[in-house]
Amino acid sequence: MLDKITSPRRPRNLLVLFELMAIALLFIYDRENLDKFTIISGISLILLIYVSNFLLPKISTGDNYIFLITTMLLSIGVIMIYRINPALGIKQVIWIGIGILLFFITYFIVKNINEWRNWTNLYFGLSIVLFVATLLFGTTKKGSTNWLEIGRFSFQPTEIIKLLLIFLIASYYVNYDEYKEKKFGPYYLTGAVYLFIGFLFLQKDLGTVLIFYSIFIALQFIYEENRKLIFYNVLLFVVAGVAGFFLFDHVRIRFQIWLNPWEYIDNKGYQITQSLFAIATGGFFGTGIGLGHPDFIPEVYTDFIFSAICEEMGIFAGIGVIMLFLILVYRGFKIAISQRDKFFRIVALGISILFGIQSFIIFGGVLKLIPLTGITIPFVSYGGSSMLSSFIALGILQVASEELD
Amino acid sequence: MFNIFSLIFKYIFIVIIYLFILSIIRLIYLDIKGISQEISDGGKYLKLINKKESLSFNVKEYYPLTKSISIGRSNNNEIVLKDPYISKNHLKIVEDEGVFFIEDLNSANGTYLNGERIMDVVKIKNGDRIRVGQVEFLFVDRE
Repeated sequence: MLDKITSPRRPRNLLVLFELMAIALLFIYDRENLDKFTIISGISLILLIYVSNFLLPKISTGDNYIFLITTMLLSIGVIMIYRINPALGIKQVIWIGIGILLFFITYFIVKNINEWRNWTNLYFGLSIVLFVATLLFGTTKKGSTNWLEIGRFSFQPTEIIKLLLIFLIASYYVNYDEYKEKKFGPYYLTGAVYLFIGFLFLQKDLGTVLIFYSIFIALQFIYEENRKLIFYNVLLFVVAGVAGFFLFDHVRIRFQIWLNPWEYIDNKGYQITQSLFAIATGGFFGTGIGLGHPDFIPEVYTDFIFSAICEEMGIFAGIGVIMLFLILVYRGFKIAISQRDKFFRIVALGISILFGIQSFIIFGGVLKLIPLTGITIPFVSYGGSSMLSSFIALGILQVASEELD
Repeated sequence: MFNIFSLIFKYIFIVIIYLFILSIIRLIYLDIKGISQEISDGGKYLKLINKKESLSFNVKEYYPLTKSISIGRSNNNEIVLKDPYISKNHLKIVEDEGVFFIEDLNSANGTYLNGERIMDVVKIKNGDRIRVGQVEFLFVDRE
């Protein structure tokens, strides 16, 4: 009996069971619009996830759990998205497919190149190029200029810059002794990060500013030798926050909505109040998939997917999602602790902080614990760029979990 | 019809999600406990005496000894230590009816048992210190 519980196959099988039941339920729910393509893509997703989970321990000597946890998270996410909007659900399935492929590609590329720690200037240059490109050619959605369109394809450059930032910080601290020799060397990184944050302010993408600042300050707190610098950065963070409040109208509005959404229920506060209603309707066990009204919330499939999960699958499922993120971040820190290579140790820390802070900001936002900032939940929300960049980050974390020579 | 399904499934979903989380936590817990459990089972093992951080190559804190093993710098050994002072095939630990013997494989820098360089096959007992290159192990036999 005990062997059965502790078998490494067990979570994998539970995942398949969960997905099969969900897919059956969803197909009954959506039986009028079912076509062959939907059924095939649904079943091939389950197969892809199972095969990846089966193959990964054989390919990689590292951690087996992070991929398993994320596949559970994205299964919950894609079920909810398909239930809200079948067309988007199918798109999400395709994004997941590309994402898993990208996970393995990233894994092999990152593993087989040893020069990552020496390319500080490259990371910096690439980030600047992406920022300038967004500033010049970017399109504005929801008040932030953060989308870049190439032909039919559009993506958020900040999703890539997030990872470049982590690599930049890691390579900087690996080569810290070199930089210390130079004049102003200890301030290079701080300067670069503030340049990035300046660009983000120009794009009015304040949710990402928060993520960049958190990653930067957290990693600096661990590795910076000049402890005063951390203090100044925290001080500047507060100043930037206050400045943002007075400079940007929409920050002020967000703050007011957070303090009292009921006053603005018919326009600006509509989204957050609907989210609160949805979570309250769900109760402990939810209304059941297809029986609630998560579609009352605007943008429910990206930023507010968590409210939809809470409404239809219950607050227990919501807590489950938070717990999955907890284990994921815990595994990330564990990987960082046991990694001997300093570069990958910092990268693993950075990625865990990225996942943690991103999910914290949006969970807190939809539950009205902190002012709402529109960012996606990694792996759960609908969104191509977010899904792909999260999978790239996971691939890097997988490499970091191995013993590297 | 669909409503009944959905109402039943929502409970099952929550149960599955929590079972999934529990089984992962349990596996992680076993992972962490793995080493200490192997040792508390009355096993024999090599324990690293050096500070792990002071060595510039990969080495584990514990190496369980279940059968005969070899130590060396090349990858075909059971315990691979990338220490420049260790020969490609440095030494062998052989088990014979529950008793362990240590044998140097003509290594350049030799193997030291309790500070003395070994020449022939030597029997090792609980508490013996084995030094190869920069690494020093304690042989533990709890029986």
